[in-house]
Amino acid sequence: MATTVLKNISEIRRFFHRNEDPVYFISATNFNLLGIDEWVKNFKYICYIDCYDGKHPNVFCPSEQPHAEFQSIEDINNYLLQHKEVIDFIKRRGGKPKFVFLMFDEETERLSKEFGADVWFPKAKLRQSMDNKIETVRIGNKAGVPSVPNVLAEVKSYEDLRATCEQGGIGHDLVLQSAFGDSGHTTFFIKSEADFRRHEHEIIGEGEIKIMKRIDCRGSAIEACATSQGTIVGPLMTELVGFKELTPYRGGWCGNEILSTAFPPKVRNQARDLTFKFGEQLRKEGYRGYFELDFLIDKKTGDLWLGELNPRITGASSMTNHAAFAHADAPLFLFHLLEFSKKKFNLDVDELNNRWADPEMIDGWSQMVIKHTDDSVDICTSAPETGIYKMLEDGRVVFDRFDYHRRAVESENEAFFLRILGPGDYRYEGADIGILVTRGRSMTKAFQLNDRARKWIHGIKQSVSGRPLPVAEASPAFADPAFKIM
Amino acid sequence: MYWRAISEDQPGPKWAGLFREYWPDYQRWWLKEGDSMRASYMESVRMLKRHMPEMLPLYDQLCELAGGGDQASRFLSFYCPPPYLSGCSQALWPGKAPVLVRNYDYNPNAFDSLILHTNWQGRQVMGTSDGLWGLVDGMNDAGLAISLTFGGRRIVGEGFGVPLILRYVLQTCTTAAEAEEVLKRVPTHMSYNVTVVDRTRKYFTAMMAPDRPTIITHAAVATNHQENVEWISHARFTATVERERYLLQRLTLHRDTEDKFIAAFLKPPLYSTAFDHGFGTLYTAVYRPRKKQMEIRWPGTTWPLSMDAFEEGTRQVQIPGAA
Repeated sequence: MATTVLKNISEIRRFFHRNEDPVYFISATNFNLLGIDEWVKNFKYICYIDCYDGKHPNVFCPSEQPHAEFQSIEDINNYLLQHKEVIDFIKRRGGKPKFVFLMFDEETERLSKEFGADVWFPKAKLRQSMDNKIETVRIGNKAGVPSVPNVLAEVKSYEDLRATCEQGGIGHDLVLQSAFGDSGHTTFFIKSEADFRRHEHEIIGEGEIKIMKRIDCRGSAIEACATSQGTIVGPLMTELVGFKELTPYRGGWCGNEILSTAFPPKVRNQARDLTFKFGEQLRKEGYRGYFELDFLIDKKTGDLWLGELNPRITGASSMTNHAAFAHADAPLFLFHLLEFSKKKFNLDVDELNNRWADPEMIDGWSQMVIKHTDDSVDICTSAPETGIYKMLEDGRVVFDRFDYHRRAVESENEAFFLRILGPGDYRYEGADIGILVTRGRSMTKAFQLNDRARKWIHGIKQSVSGRPLPVAEASPAFADPAFKIM
Repeated sequence: MYWRAISEDQPGPKWAGLFREYWPDYQRWWLKEGDSMRASYMESVRMLKRHMPEMLPLYDQLCELAGGGDQASRFLSFYCPPPYLSGCSQALWPGKAPVLVRNYDYNPNAFDSLILHTNWQGRQVMGTSDGLWGLVDGMNDAGLAISLTFGGRRIVGEGFGVPLILRYVLQTCTTAAEAEEVLKRVPTHMSYNVTVVDRTRKYFTAMMAPDRPTIITHAAVATNHQENVEWISHARFTATVERERYLLQRLTLHRDTEDKFIAAFLKPPLYSTAFDHGFGTLYTAVYRPRKKQMEIRWPGTTWPLSMDAFEEGTRQVQIPGAA
């Protein structure tokens, strides 16, 4: 059995349905790999936040132990891996555990080793180096995938930045990105000295910065998986970026849509082609498995520019892995697991890629990541629970039934909501409230939020409530300066 | 809380009076691990001479005013004092003019509530006093402003109590660049984040520690951890990560007016009322280096003070939950 070679999709699917190795996705929530447990036997999620109030059969959430506020997703994973209930859970289930993560670092690798577990991703060090935006430009150049006109330079002051840009001929309307970090958090739009001052603490002393000419473009995302048989490419998705109803971060990612006609065929094909080339280059660099590319599409010329590389699964992975083609063949992430399972397989990647490029393989979905966008802080007292919601005729959004399958959404009048913010959590500007998945589009043809999306956002946000934090009122009083009490 | 603002150009009777008043409490604190745990007078002076030689004449004067006793003099050297912790948040307003704002979160029973204005050694300095000649935040007549937060690390080493280091910077430096050299050089006995801004708005945050070289960063925000949280229980207790994240959001997402930015320090999550846990916000201080003005604020009230026209005064402030 061990020496047999999997010859086609059917055998690959069967292989995972009969899988005996325990595979774990360890992360804050299971959102990114939603539904993979139904393709892979013995697949469990170990999560920090229980979005399902204990109702998801494959999600395990240990009870909360005292910890410092997490500074990163890596921190969450490292906390989970040291939690006694998690250790007991994994031990009890036996076998040689396999771990997958959204983010991990060398400490995660060390903890995984203590478990005797395999991390089914390339080494953190390699991922870290590829995640560096400056390295991404280099890999793209090698693969023939161009980046937006840019200069890589250290910035010492605003005057220094202006001089650098004049030299580089990229003007003064700029987008700056530091080497690491998510879009929105480390992407700075800088046109004036006042813009610069707000971000200078993130720019000066941070080493080389990617300084880009600001172009008028649409964001798009595409996911792929570099395997020994070639790079398998998913569909090109739109990106929802910076909508003030969803995110306080200008330029910050806040959702995606998947639909066959979101971009002209020429753009779609070019994006697929460039992603394939990029994936092949990644393989040469020693990387394999799942990755995501952002392409910036020039509104006027339709030119494609490489935005960034995420050498991992992402917030858009749930879109890729639930599209019609994924149900027809297999979700893209299954090929990632296959690549790391050491199981031999033969696959005509070209044929698969061509099939996935067929517009018939795509059905329309969208997801919106809803954050608290008000400039306020309070403590959440109630929040909508995970499940299927209905929009009534009058635009009100009401809970209909519990479910953890997004495909359970029947029509455009229904949506799947995954709760992130729960009672007792701080609700602050930028805090995730939850993710809303609907059928159909949430943007207009001009890439603005459509009315339906606005109503959904409003409906969800309205059902979150909070209580204020305690404030002190000091009253000054002039006093006799005769004595002091210590 | 009973607050005083006191001005005295040269070390003299006012300072001597303050010393007499505060010394019994400080002595008890300073001796809490026993006299033998503290450095000798000889070592203290040797260290002052090595690291802050410009301060020696002033130090001698103050020791004299303090009565010349051995323990008082060793205490005043700030060399290897008993460990002490605090909370605190500080940030630089991202507008055009330099404005440094900070909350001081501490136990009200172990705090001087004293604003001191001096003209020692020909340099005017005003700020929030600690240990009688140290400062937890302050500014000098060159428009150099400085403030500290505890760095959230348990390690205690050989060095000076940071309030004296702040005093030293203000007594001897006029620009952020000069202050940077001092903070890289002078040893601290615990970990602190020291933010400095000068009148040209050049700024930096020095992450000082007794066990590793000072890290100079361009951070415009400092709370109670250095690059990563190391002391987890202290971080939870003081919500240092939450406060930092909140301040960074203020900087990058908002175009706050100066007043709105300052007002954020007087509300949760920056403003803390957790006095029953020992760490409530005692005051908000605002420094405006170009105007050479400072303010102490509490919810609902502001106490403005000016370098050139410093007025002595007092305030009785009722902060619910604080003594």
